[in-house]
Amino acid sequence: MPDKVSPIEALSPASRSYGEIGPVSAEPRWAMVVDQERCVGCWSCCVICKSENDVPLGMWWNRIDTVGDALDTPYREQGELAMHWLPLACQHCENPACTRVCPVGATYSREDGLVMQDSGRCIGCRYCLVACPYGVRVFNWGRPERPTEFHTGMVEPRPLGTMEKCTFCVHRLPDGQVPSCVWSCPGQARIFGDLNDPQSRVSRLVRERGGYQLLEERGTDPRVFYLPPRRKRGLEP
Amino acid sequence: MSAAVGSGPSVGPVDSAATGAPVTVAPAQRTVNRPLALWLGLLGLGLLIGLGAWAYQLSQGLEVTNMRNPMMWGLYITLFMYFVGLSAGGLIVASAGRLFGAGGLKPIVRLAVLEATVAVLLAAIFVLPDIGRPDRAWHLFRYPNFHSPMMWDITIIVVYLLISLTYTWIYARADLARRGSWLALGTKASEAAQKRDERLKLVLAGVGLPAAILLHSITAWIFGLQISRGFWYTALMAPLFIASALVSGTGLMIILALIARRTRRVAFRDTLIAYMGKLLAIFVAVEAFLVFSEMLTAAYPGAGFEGDPVARLLTGRYAGFFWFEVGAGLIIPFALLVVPRLRRNLRWVAVASVLAMVGIFVHRLNIVINGLSFATVPYPPGVPVGTVQPVGTDSFALSLFYYPSWVEWLVALGVLCFGAIVFTVAAWRLPLREAVHG
Ligand code: SF4
Ligand code: SF4
Repeated sequence: MPDKVSPIEALSPASRSYGEIGPVSAEPRWAMVVDQERCVGCWSCCVICKSENDVPLGMWWNRIDTVGDALDTPYREQGELAMHWLPLACQHCENPACTRVCPVGATYSREDGLVMQDSGRCIGCRYCLVACPYGVRVFNWGRPERPTEFHTGMVEPRPLGTMEKCTFCVHRLPDGQVPSCVWSCPGQARIFGDLNDPQSRVSRLVRERGGYQLLEERGTDPRVFYLPPRRKRGLEP
Repeated sequence: MSAAVGSGPSVGPVDSAATGAPVTVAPAQRTVNRPLALWLGLLGLGLLIGLGAWAYQLSQGLEVTNMRNPMMWGLYITLFMYFVGLSAGGLIVASAGRLFGAGGLKPIVRLAVLEATVAVLLAAIFVLPDIGRPDRAWHLFRYPNFHSPMMWDITIIVVYLLISLTYTWIYARADLARRGSWLALGTKASEAAQKRDERLKLVLAGVGLPAAILLHSITAWIFGLQISRGFWYTALMAPLFIASALVSGTGLMIILALIARRTRRVAFRDTLIAYMGKLLAIFVAVEAFLVFSEMLTAAYPGAGFEGDPVARLLTGRYAGFFWFEVGAGLIIPFALLVVPRLRRNLRWVAVASVLAMVGIFVHRLNIVINGLSFATVPYPPGVPVGTVQPVGTDSFALSLFYYPSWVEWLVALGVLCFGAIVFTVAAWRLPLREAVHG
């Protein structure tokens, strides 16, 4: 789609450099860090994801779950109220449950470990959706509907009856651009980079801030690491 | 079904080998009688309705079902498992009878093999409406990924279908040849051929039995190997599936045998039904034992990965289904079949069989729906991915309550009618009565 201007190209060069990945090792192992301390649950990343990837109405590749029992509501911890979110998209597992079960290999791990989805091959059996422990895949149950007449996305729209999910904005990586959600987060809660470089920001943050993986005990080994919130925000001073 | 129940104890035609009395089985019929025409007409109507519903689903997408991202499998997959089970159960009973010399089952072996063939065919057909892109079903053969339990299952279904078709044909070919039917494919009905067929049948039973066990075990592993679903991730899944296959398969065999005798397609004594009733009681007991063992193991820790879904099954939203499964599907049939006096009464055996079959269907529903209705991520509150279904008051946060939509029911009806047509026509045209040698 050459004649489309991507949101990132529309920016001034200074703002653009913010979204650049920067130097990486010879064989990068892409990873994302999500800082729960910084996330304010604003859904900006989810919205830009929908526009970047042309995700139809009613479907989210990326969504914000709330810690606790109710949506956008504080929870109680040690007698205090706290409020945190869990931004959730495909975890790009090192050992994905989804690729293993796909009967036709329509979802697969790339050389560099990113988990990809081939909507031209998918038969729509939804076994991957059953197998993924994170509930992040979305299926085209009906004809895709979009809020605009035209396509906003930078990637091919997916047809009826096939599966789709977050790709880590794989189409942006060759240009050295971080995924859209990373670039768009107003709290800079998302950091993207190369896990194979021990000095990269992601590597350091995971090391120093105790980055944890979701459902670590199930052995999927996600490439998305969460940084736990550092303090409880009590309502009383 | 009630027609079959009507024949009271020991009034049906009896086996000639046992009594020396003349055989009262009707030869394979060529003319269609009124009730048969009516029955086929009704089934044809059901098939048409089902096809219409499927066409509608194809045009609109799976949106017209009530499946959604959090509840991605439903009635179709349940029926797929159910029919695999019916097929495996029927063939296991028939083959085991042959292999281990339970000769008493001989009069209904052909019926069992035919039932197994039609049931596995239906199971395969149920895959089509379930997948989002049936037009790409050929990808399964073009790009197979043998890491996937679903691929293992498709492979075994194809193999098994071939085995059961051969099985059906070997059983029928001597009679077909005698009748001069082209379906005999050139085989002769000689003494030597008969001997060879007997040997072949034994070989087929030897192949068919493990194939049937494998078929249903693999179907169990589609579910039982998934770390994402605590309720499924248990080594007991395959044994449990085999047990439930035996229950539903034997139940269906009893009903079909009674109907086939009523319509004079096979002949046997009432003791055969009592014998199968005894088998059914044993299978029900094994099933109950496995279900109990599974529930206890999962529920004992009180909560967590496995405990939560089980708690929900025992006391939560799906408790009604579960206790129905236990009461109507396990306890009542067992109670009916364990009393010798009731077991000798065809009526009660038939009632127990129907209950056991329904019970296993509900059991399968429980596996699929309860297994899936648990969000696995630790902090579930959030917007669900996919369309929100307004259900009750707690609709917004997570809608995981599933009931099939009318399209799903109608498509299922169509497939069932198709199966009934195939079975009826085959049972009407093929020689079903097993010749009893020595
Ligand atoms: S998060 Fe789910 S969809 Fe993504 S790679 Fe892991 S198992 Fe696959
Ligand atoms: S829905 Fe598509 S990607 Fe997922 S397992 Fe089935 S064929 Fe593979």
